[in-house]
Amino acid sequence: MKNLMLATALVPIAGLASAACAPDYSGVTLTVSTQNGPFIASALKTAADSWQEKTCGTVEIVEFPFSELYPKFLTAMSQQTGDFDVIGFIPAWAPDFAPFLSTMPAEMQQGPAWEDIHPVYRERLMSWGGEVKSATMDGDMHMLNYRADLFEDEGNKAAFKEQYGYDLAAPVTWDQYYDIAQFFTASDAVDFGTAEAYRRGGQQFWYFFSHAASYTNNPNTPGAMFFDPETMDAQINNPGWLKALEDYKRGLEFNPPGALNNGSGDVRPLYSGGTVAMNIDWADSGVLGATEGAIAGNVRTAVLPGATEIWNSETESWDSFDSPVASPFLAFGGWQLAVPGDSRNSEAAWSYVAEVTSPEVSGQAIVTANTGVNPYRLSHYENLDNWSAIFTPAEAKSYLTAQRASLDADNVALDLRLPGFFSYTEVLEIELSKAIAGQVEPQEALDAIAAEWNKLTDEFGRDNQLAAYRAAMGLD
Amino acid sequence: MSQTPQPDRVKYAFIFPAFLLVLTITLFPLIYALVVSFQTIRIVPPVPPKFVGFDNYAEILASARFWGSIQVTAVIVFVSVALQYVLGFALALTLHHNVPGASLYRVSFLLPMFLAPVSVALIARMLFHPVLGPVNEFFTLFGLENLPFLTSPSFAIATLITVEIWQWTPFVVLLMLAGLQGLPSEVFEAARVDNISAWRRFRDLTFPMLLPLSVAVVFIRVIEGFKIIDTVFVLTGGGPGTSTETLTLFAYNEGFKKFNIGMTSALSFLFLIVVILFGTLYLAAAQRMIRRYQ
Amino acid sequence: MDRTTFRRLGLGLALIWLAFCLFPLWWVLVTAFKPPSAVSGGATYIPFVDFQPTWQAFRDAFSGVRGDFAGPIFSSLAVSLVSTALAVFLGAMAAYALVRFEFRIRLLAGLVFGVLSIGGFALLNQGAGLSVPQSLGLVMLIALPVAIWLNGRNLPGPVLGNDDVTFWFVSQRMFPPIVSAFALFLLYAEMNKAGVRLLDSFPGLVAAYTAFGLPFAVWLMRDFFANVPVEVEEAAMVDNIGRMRIFFQIVLPMSKPGLVATSMIVLAFIWNEFLFALLLTSSKWQTLPILMAGQNSSRGDEWWAISVAALISIIPMIAVAIFLGRMMRSGFLAGSIK
Repeated sequence: MKNLMLATALVPIAGLASAACAPDYSGVTLTVSTQNGPFIASALKTAADSWQEKTCGTVEIVEFPFSELYPKFLTAMSQQTGDFDVIGFIPAWAPDFAPFLSTMPAEMQQGPAWEDIHPVYRERLMSWGGEVKSATMDGDMHMLNYRADLFEDEGNKAAFKEQYGYDLAAPVTWDQYYDIAQFFTASDAVDFGTAEAYRRGGQQFWYFFSHAASYTNNPNTPGAMFFDPETMDAQINNPGWLKALEDYKRGLEFNPPGALNNGSGDVRPLYSGGTVAMNIDWADSGVLGATEGAIAGNVRTAVLPGATEIWNSETESWDSFDSPVASPFLAFGGWQLAVPGDSRNSEAAWSYVAEVTSPEVSGQAIVTANTGVNPYRLSHYENLDNWSAIFTPAEAKSYLTAQRASLDADNVALDLRLPGFFSYTEVLEIELSKAIAGQVEPQEALDAIAAEWNKLTDEFGRDNQLAAYRAAMGLD
Repeated sequence: MSQTPQPDRVKYAFIFPAFLLVLTITLFPLIYALVVSFQTIRIVPPVPPKFVGFDNYAEILASARFWGSIQVTAVIVFVSVALQYVLGFALALTLHHNVPGASLYRVSFLLPMFLAPVSVALIARMLFHPVLGPVNEFFTLFGLENLPFLTSPSFAIATLITVEIWQWTPFVVLLMLAGLQGLPSEVFEAARVDNISAWRRFRDLTFPMLLPLSVAVVFIRVIEGFKIIDTVFVLTGGGPGTSTETLTLFAYNEGFKKFNIGMTSALSFLFLIVVILFGTLYLAAAQRMIRRYQ
Repeated sequence: MDRTTFRRLGLGLALIWLAFCLFPLWWVLVTAFKPPSAVSGGATYIPFVDFQPTWQAFRDAFSGVRGDFAGPIFSSLAVSLVSTALAVFLGAMAAYALVRFEFRIRLLAGLVFGVLSIGGFALLNQGAGLSVPQSLGLVMLIALPVAIWLNGRNLPGPVLGNDDVTFWFVSQRMFPPIVSAFALFLLYAEMNKAGVRLLDSFPGLVAAYTAFGLPFAVWLMRDFFANVPVEVEEAAMVDNIGRMRIFFQIVLPMSKPGLVATSMIVLAFIWNEFLFALLLTSSKWQTLPILMAGQNSSRGDEWWAISVAALISIIPMIAVAIFLGRMMRSGFLAGSIK
């Protein structure tokens, strides 16, 4: 091993033609791991190339199926095998991983690159337990994607106005969303109105949360969307959630057949292939539509619809607002990079992380197809020209404005992050799939989820869970 | 089975390598699983383990989800294995008697078995897609459009059974064919000379002689079948609700998603007991049948 | 019913099954060449007629964009072939012993072993704080000889025979793999800490997979050996030829069809095994099934990518199937040598 290191160290010195390695990590091999490519992994590979050039180190990328990432990382880190130097994972797992992750070096937590990260990502997603444990490399939230050609068509606009009494435009409330979906399902212009994910194991619950945020993320009671912020009682069976479930179920009417088995991955090609007029999805639908779909040039993105009535869990009544309140839901949060505590090359690892998340490298990644990297730095949103490679100017403007507006929104809704995340989401997925298949009544399903959630909270320690939840919701 | 009277020490030389290897690899997991099943151990969140005696077992036995998963798994396994055996044996006979094209069949019939279950599941997901898949087109010809192959519990179970049959009948074919090839040909020659009909030759000669092998083959298919997970995971995710959730999928979610190791171990032992129960009953019935024929 | 009718029925069945069996494979082959539009518009079947084929999916796969294929292919081949050979070899030996000899295991001795090993391990590991490999090693060194010694004594209680030994082998397959995979991972991780690299290593994988394939080999070969007429062996024994030689030079060649079939079964199972591969490998020895599972990407069924991956993973197996299939045909003659 030593000889190998020596040999590799000598190579750059001997080959004076190559630039100096700064900082010098020659002889260091980093094992970087994430889900199977091309998403995220290809971005990591590109950054690996540039990092290897700069520092003379080597990077090996190992990929695993997404659904096996969590067990693989957790088992490796809990047994301190030192297998991975950098892991790419999702924020929902951060509470469970945090005890095993090393903290970001202080130098990385300052400077222009640090300030350039959008505050919501920086403050909310990168730290846990008061320490910065990971670096955002991707920004995720749910958006409403729709097609310009269908929405701007004069014939459609006239027919819609006649039937529903208001102008056809990106919906700002869920009621409008369903009107439009109904309209397009009936219309000949397109096969179906919308597409959402409903499948157990297909990331359905994030779609459900996107609906729920509008009815439960009350600006008057911050942080009360999932649990009561004082007692940690589950809020998921309150009337706001019930309305969301009924809405979510109603969408099946306007989805293509087989929607019950659609995962998030199925929703994208339906939109980009032109089968549906709208969809709810992460920003990937937009990029897919512009690059590989049949709707290039007609991709439009909007902030998620909101509501004029939001449930207030404290007063136990509905609060009314004059104009619709948007509660854009930061579904999924965005891929994070972290360095496990048992890594033997932590300094080099963090240097690599800095490379991947640097404004230059990430700025390239967001406009390269198939990287799966969506904007998260202020500079990403501001540079419109950068996007001309994949979007028309109209598309780019709508795409970026919607995302920025979602992040800057007053009532932005944060995703659930708790220790034991899977235990909570498993019962959610099971009951949810039963409810939308019609096997149980919505209220019954929600009550069952609430009961199980309360049980889990007690089992895991109510105080711990409460503290974690409050931190995740930005209350403390 | 023949036995020799001398106390051969060489028999130990024959069996010990296999025995030791299996013991070394499986002993620790067994001990660990047993010890852990009496505790509540969760890796996340890191709660210190507590000894709880039989609580894990009691909780599982009381949960409807456990019994539901046994039922789903049992239905899928028994129906698909029965069909696999009948089809597989018939195909093996066909190949054995050198119907035209036998050599082509020999290779192509084996292929499904060589595909990873997850690949088969992904392919099935393509084929059974309710809008874009060829199976849907096939049924549309009969006026049945967009059948809920994967979203209605009964259809989903039928689809799972079909996939299992597709993938594992080759297993039966392969072994039964090898068995057929090992049969002494003189007996059949004699029977043919005596002008005994093909059906009677099968019923009185082939089937009884291959009965021990048949028992073994079906037994392995049942045991392996009980562990079905990839197909279910990819095709339905266990849904809607838990109506297509099999035992191993249940264990997988408990163990690898929730990292509820204590509960998963208890579940695994209960699973083991269930399979041993089925296995022993099956073997006892099979032994009786063998004795009757011989 | 006469022979011709049977043959016609057989042919009919074979053809139907051929269609049923090959259609999905044809679908996979064809879909690997489809551009996205040929998928999202509905089912298409024949290249050049229904759609324009393209090599794009293959290009993507080999460019490494969807994950490195070369490494896993090599790992899968190396690990599977070696483990299968070992499993069938050791398993055949064990199966032969179970068919030709009598084993007597006193239940009490077995129970003593169980108690000693479990109790001893718990004591050493959690009581005395010894590490896992140390406790395990000590327990095996002590409990096994004790149990064997006890077996020689005349203990009361039921005596287990060959069938039960076989059942023990097969019962290893009945245990759902979830916890065993995790536990084996723990064991290997502990061995890593003790300095013996088993995780993500060739010996570690082969050991696990051989143990994994042995139950099949034992169970299946037992029946094939039982069908080998014992007179040939007895004749050889009269000539004072040792058991080992009899086994290798007479019995094994006579059971060639069975050996070939068992090898194929074991190979298929090891080749496609997922869970142990996931936990026991990392960057160096990742096998194909993990790569395959990853094709179920969150981008929605990219059917063409899935098809290419499936094709790549099945081609080595096709080669094996053809090779072994040929051996099977000639085996028919070898099986009835007198």
